[in-house]
Amino acid sequence: MSPDRSQTVYAASAADLALRALDVLRGVEGTAFVAEHVERADDPKAALAGIRFLGADAFAPHLLADAVFHPDDAAAVTQSFAVFPPPVRTPDPPPAGPAEPWVAAWRDWATAALLARLAGTAGLLAPRPSGAPVLTDRADSAAADADSGSEGFPETGASGASDTDWQHWSVRMGQLSPLALPALDGPVHAAARAAPLALARGATRAVLRRDFPTAARITRWLALLHAEGVRLPLDPVPLVEHLRLHGGGPRLALDVAIARCLLGPEAP
Amino acid sequence: MTASVTRTAHQVSAQALAWLHVHRECGALPADTTVDLGDPDSVYKPLGETALAASLVLRESAAGSVELRLARDLMDFCWRQFGEGDMLYERLLRYSMMTDPLETYVPFARCGFRHEPLERLLAHTSALRSVRAVEAVPNRGLAVANAARVVGLDQGGRGYDWPTLTRATWLGATPEPWLVDWMTGYFATHTVFHLTDWGRAPTGLPDDIAEYLTTWLPVWIDIWAEIEQWDLVAELMIVGCCLPEPYCAPADWERLARVQHPDGLVPRDGEPVPDDPGLRFKDHQHTAVVATIAGTLAVSRALGGTAGQR
Repeated sequence: MSPDRSQTVYAASAADLALRALDVLRGVEGTAFVAEHVERADDPKAALAGIRFLGADAFAPHLLADAVFHPDDAAAVTQSFAVFPPPVRTPDPPPAGPAEPWVAAWRDWATAALLARLAGTAGLLAPRPSGAPVLTDRADSAAADADSGSEGFPETGASGASDTDWQHWSVRMGQLSPLALPALDGPVHAAARAAPLALARGATRAVLRRDFPTAARITRWLALLHAEGVRLPLDPVPLVEHLRLHGGGPRLALDVAIARCLLGPEAP
Repeated sequence: MTASVTRTAHQVSAQALAWLHVHRECGALPADTTVDLGDPDSVYKPLGETALAASLVLRESAAGSVELRLARDLMDFCWRQFGEGDMLYERLLRYSMMTDPLETYVPFARCGFRHEPLERLLAHTSALRSVRAVEAVPNRGLAVANAARVVGLDQGGRGYDWPTLTRATWLGATPEPWLVDWMTGYFATHTVFHLTDWGRAPTGLPDDIAEYLTTWLPVWIDIWAEIEQWDLVAELMIVGCCLPEPYCAPADWERLARVQHPDGLVPRDGEPVPDDPGLRFKDHQHTAVVATIAGTLAVSRALGGTAGQR
């Protein structure tokens, strides 16, 4: 199987697992749904890859909807780490290293940390990376400083873009959305708490661009902050409902369902 | 605001103003124009908009001597086109309930071009309950209120209910920022223009609306720049200059400077620009007006111009 083809198969398997998680989150009967996902698969290796693709979100029903965590689930997740071992050393955070493996390492850590928590085991199957997405928010700091007349701000490049502005930062935070679960904490969460404005702008931008999957991922952070009592620049409740009614696909549906759980009884 | 922003903003607006001046005859009223104006938006309204841009260049006095001369020249040109006010007067005589004679007169009144019979007529009609009750989109109500304020028609118990007018607008509802469309974007910009009299009085914005715009303006500029809606982007950049704490991002100005043509034309969007001089003017005159105003206000705010100081 070519790498591209296997990626497609793995993503399809992750979507299938997302639907199972969604059912359990909604209260549809489901015991050991992670293990069942592997047992019933035609291609067990793809099913294990699907677990790693979906990552920590596979545990959302256990964290948010009181689903019972079955030892078979723990075994399936553990097996996924055995078949697809994460790098021994965690990659350097950007800009020292490339973003993609670093994001993957954070997602692996989130999966491993929740597995250890739910299974009650010591030791993690994936190490915790360092760092968090860096936000310079140049757009904000460019607001008037009329008296200075200085050249104090760094010039933006020809494209006017920087990968640490709120646009790129919020997309990167969206890629880390499996960390936006109540049982996890770390520097990425601290970064989210420090920048509700950039998250709200990022979610707003994604909705206006009709990039609903990205909007849903960023909105999960807003929902988490809301659950923690952080004051937001926008009301997340109608935003989540808008995404629920406009977005499509199992992944987005799971993100929205998790956000709704985080918002609690306020969600319609 | 950095010196480089000021430099870029000045350069964009000076070139846009010069382009409006060079091509002004393309915007002249046809010889057979009557006050009936079959299509007011074709030439009549754009002429008023050119006058608006020129009047703000003169009001702010933040440009160089060349730009001030061009602006005065454009004011003279537009005033002559309107028969030194006679046309506006006759149009109001014929169409008492229309607000465009008042609104078109505003830039001239702002710069001392007065027409006494028109002002007497405006004082009469603008006070009538019939005229005041004309049904219109809410931001248009603010346009009339600001026009009356500039001309001085709101004195002696003839004031406008600004808070009620403001809360009737889309922006006045501080709506969900993730649900706005192109036309509503223009409505929001005009609500700000009229509340602040084009940046003269930033405190005319209620605090919650100023905070709302400070929060969301960068997002709206970003998404409309991505799809190359330069006219709306430049209008939103004017909004940034109208805030109590101006929002004026260097990247926005560099981007607008990049899309400006060497002759000063600022394209309204990402579509190809025609070669025909008449079409070029017709399609892109509004964006030149907007860019002139945006740059003028950006420079003025950078130099310390605020409501409190005027």
